[in-house]
Amino acid sequence: MALFLKTLSASLRNGLCNGNGAVRTSPMISKMLSTEATTTEEKRPTVRKPNAATRSALTDFGRYVAECLPKYVQKVQLTSGDELEVLICPEGVVPVMQFLKDHHNSQFANLTDIAGMDVPSRKYRFEIIYNILSLRYNSRIRVKTYTDELTPIDSCFEVFKAANWYEREIWDMYGVFFANHPDLRRILTDYGFEGHPQRRDFPLSGYVELRYDDEKKRVVCEPLELAQEFRKFDLSAPWEQFPNFKYANPATEHIDTSKPEEKK
Amino acid sequence: MLRTPLTRTLSLGAPSRVFAVVRTSASASTPAKAPEKIEVFVDDQSVFVDPGTTVLQAAAQIGVEIPRFCYHERLAVAGNCRMCLVEVEKSPKPVAACAMPVMKGWRIKTNSDMTRKAREGVMEFLLMNHPLDCPICDQGGECDLQDQAMAFGSDRSRFTDINYTGKRAVEDKDIGPLVKTIMTRCIHCTRCIRFASEIAGVDDFGTTGRGNDMQVGTYVEKMLLSELSGNIIDLCPVGALTNKPYSFVARPWEIRRIDSIDVLDAIGSNISVSTRTGEVLRILPRENEDINEEWLADKSRFACDGLKRQRLIAPMLRMPNGELQPVEWESVLIAVAKNLQKAGSSVAGIAGSLADVESMIALKDVLETLGSKAVATETKLPKQTLGKRSTYIMNTPIADIEESDFVLLIGTNPRYEAPLLNTRIRKGYVHNETDVALIGSQVDLSYKYDYIGDDASVINEVVSGRHPVSKRLSSAKKPVIIVGSDQLARPDGAAILSSLHSYANKLEKDGWKVFNVLQRNASQVGAMDIGYQPGAEEVLASKPKVLFLLGADGPSISRDNIPKDCFVIYQGHHGDAGAAIADAILPGAAYTEKQATYVNAEGRAQQTLVAVTPPGLAREDWKILRALSEVLGKPLKYDNLDEIRARIEKIAPHLTNYGKRDGSDTSKDKIEASGHIQSSKIDIKQKHLIDYFMTDPISRSSPTMAKCIAAVKKQEANPYK
Amino acid sequence: MASREAVRKSLQQVRPILSVDHNEARRRVLNLYRAWYRQIPYVVMDYDIPKNIEQCRAKLREQFLKNKNVTDIRVSDMLVIKGQMELKETVEIWKQKGHIMRYWKESEEPKPTDFLSKFIAGQN
Repeated sequence: MALFLKTLSASLRNGLCNGNGAVRTSPMISKMLSTEATTTEEKRPTVRKPNAATRSALTDFGRYVAECLPKYVQKVQLTSGDELEVLICPEGVVPVMQFLKDHHNSQFANLTDIAGMDVPSRKYRFEIIYNILSLRYNSRIRVKTYTDELTPIDSCFEVFKAANWYEREIWDMYGVFFANHPDLRRILTDYGFEGHPQRRDFPLSGYVELRYDDEKKRVVCEPLELAQEFRKFDLSAPWEQFPNFKYANPATEHIDTSKPEEKK
Repeated sequence: MLRTPLTRTLSLGAPSRVFAVVRTSASASTPAKAPEKIEVFVDDQSVFVDPGTTVLQAAAQIGVEIPRFCYHERLAVAGNCRMCLVEVEKSPKPVAACAMPVMKGWRIKTNSDMTRKAREGVMEFLLMNHPLDCPICDQGGECDLQDQAMAFGSDRSRFTDINYTGKRAVEDKDIGPLVKTIMTRCIHCTRCIRFASEIAGVDDFGTTGRGNDMQVGTYVEKMLLSELSGNIIDLCPVGALTNKPYSFVARPWEIRRIDSIDVLDAIGSNISVSTRTGEVLRILPRENEDINEEWLADKSRFACDGLKRQRLIAPMLRMPNGELQPVEWESVLIAVAKNLQKAGSSVAGIAGSLADVESMIALKDVLETLGSKAVATETKLPKQTLGKRSTYIMNTPIADIEESDFVLLIGTNPRYEAPLLNTRIRKGYVHNETDVALIGSQVDLSYKYDYIGDDASVINEVVSGRHPVSKRLSSAKKPVIIVGSDQLARPDGAAILSSLHSYANKLEKDGWKVFNVLQRNASQVGAMDIGYQPGAEEVLASKPKVLFLLGADGPSISRDNIPKDCFVIYQGHHGDAGAAIADAILPGAAYTEKQATYVNAEGRAQQTLVAVTPPGLAREDWKILRALSEVLGKPLKYDNLDEIRARIEKIAPHLTNYGKRDGSDTSKDKIEASGHIQSSKIDIKQKHLIDYFMTDPISRSSPTMAKCIAAVKKQEANPYK
Repeated sequence: MASREAVRKSLQQVRPILSVDHNEARRRVLNLYRAWYRQIPYVVMDYDIPKNIEQCRAKLREQFLKNKNVTDIRVSDMLVIKGQMELKETVEIWKQKGHIMRYWKESEEPKPTDFLSKFIAGQN
């Protein structure tokens, strides 16, 4: 605990030093409050165009975070045009969340939720995604980290009390272990349930089924037997037969956080 | 590949048709042998193509798909939908890619602003008169117009006619019980017209009117009298022609497709079976250049509703009062085993027309453990064919028939016995100047042929070289003789076979095989390959005490020619003729319900896959026999599919080489002439379309096929046909 | 090359869950076993299950021996955590009788194994 406070204070100090210079020169997230809609008229009615001012403010903030916490932040990116994502290493969950919560220029004091994601083909198959909200600056960003089935992640219960149940949910659904969690136990599944249902290798139908047994006068658990065919829809869009003619926007845009070469 | 002008098709067109048939044949024909390739650029990518290649084909060579509606690679080029317009540098107007041959150094832009604008314009014009009824349209989800409107259409409408006063509306046509027409949806691509006249050979379709008043139809209301009519459903890029029995049944995203093989004729067309919640909904063709290209005959496509009717869903035993009563598997297996043990070695098995190789081999093995070798097929062939493969298969591969320059048909009507073989002959006739001669009943083959009589003595004349046809055969580079398997079942079948086989062997040149026997059912070649005797007569004459019918429903077996005290076991999937005479019934699986091997007429082993589970208590056929053998106390040595396949491989290795055709050496098989060809009339069973629809237990129990027969009868009775 | 890769993998530094060496992991497993073992008389009493203490202890042993081949410290830690969780659920009587009886799988019918019974049951 002491160690992590030390790193935190160090990183905060570091960040503030940079921040002092940055307050004047680089636009802070507070700037977003005073932005005016100066977007050009969008012709396609159904496509929401991201606000350019929001984008640049978020980009700058992302760069600032990366500059303050170079040890933990691995990548900063924008998704869907105007959603900032900070990708951090698993060790950095607590210091980064602490920074984002307490830094004067961010004040993300509200942990909206924590989500899990499973991509079995990756080396670290799970992604843990923290959605945080700054009421002060009316801004939401996302912090993402990664882990596998056996590597524990630090609980951020110490930072956000809201993390308690969210982390229990991820433990229950994905089987990611949160170290230093005060009360890590199942939250959604039944007692005696085996497996983690949100993992991609867990079948949609499950493995067991329950029924009330009239003889035994209790609920019994048996291997699954589907009485009717499992309906599976083929939802691959048929109009993808002309792949050459697709014009899709990029899903994510990487924000360059490398420092410009200083002139000597 | 540009097709040569269809002079022969045009010459065939009935002159009495008053309306114009849109048939814009390709303007440029390929010059004879020009090895020089020319370079063109598609989206700045260089590609070398043969002269005469169209822009669309050149683009396809480097993987650029140009959208199209009217163009189809197996039909003549029409060039009337204009969807394939692309920009060519230095050309003032966009060009139609499907019809325009490339010139040297052309720079084709398939994605430029001009091309996109052209497509958007064409799409707007098409949609202007196309109804907005996708939610109730059966083509929805697999519609070319939908897909391409998504990809290339404008994303906003300029259509302001909210009262729908201006949209074109066309009356629907009644073209029979198979194809439903909603002609308002038609975009006039003319694919159906071109298919009917070029491939099916029925000039029933055409267009009337011009401009906005153009209509596709039959002019006078009539049924589309073709055995290939279902293919126009697949060809139609919109929902104008849809599958009538399948209408409003399912959407393409909720069905599962399983690749399989058709067994209703001996061709073994590749199909894909669409199922949902354990029910076969429809059958579509699957592309296979060696067999069915991308077509499918109507019986194979539409008889699938027969898989749900008249099914045997429980084992049955005949009670002392003469009634069949459903019982459990245990009791029927025990009853059958008792009777088999009582009979000793006096048991016989007969395999029917839809039996698969696995079950036939299991039956043979079960009977062998009982000491009987009496296994036979229902269809009779001369006994000499046994073990001589070239005397009962088609030695010319189906795909090669279209290259032939002279085809002699003897006592067969390929149009109804094997419709997709007939399309090959017709393709050769139209594009390759193939000549056809026929001995047998005079029938409409959808192309012209020389009719040389229906007496068997004509065969003698041809074989001895006295007939003019003999000269044509010997002068032809690639002659083909196709004999209907029914003729070999005649009393003088052996004589016909031996004379034709040795004559055909003399005609062979440079490895080109001449002699072909056209089987009429899917099981025959496979059964002969594993050593079944052809024809049930001999087996029945031995007066067996127990007779095992493996789906044998044919007219050759009835209570009259079976001994009175004989215990008849019927194993099959439909309650048809065979089940009616049985004392015990073992319910088996139909071809969509089992993974099984079938060998087609040209000797190609293919396998069906499980699309749905067998209904009720029915089981896979070879498993029934395996279970029976265990009850008998002499279990067969295979427990699963791999093991039985290994057993098949031991007997006939080519039968597990799926998808590959195993030809045989025609010269090795010699058949001694026995007797003479008698001078009598050669008769065939399927002469008219009405004879085509119901030939086996599945199609006999299909309501759609019954409707077809009724519709054909009605059409025949029409005085204005 | 492949062997070197394997060596590198096995020597990979990983973050421990609870235990840092085999001895510690083993101790945790034995502790959990002991805790369950001592709790079983109360479980039998509280839940009123139709099994006696010996049968429960045999089942406990069976459940532990199911994972006897686990050598990875982190995997065994994970199993201990889950076992602990389960023990707590049992002791606090959050579970019901049915949950406890689930260990015995009484209502499950054994699957047919030989060809004929599989054939009659309609299973492949």
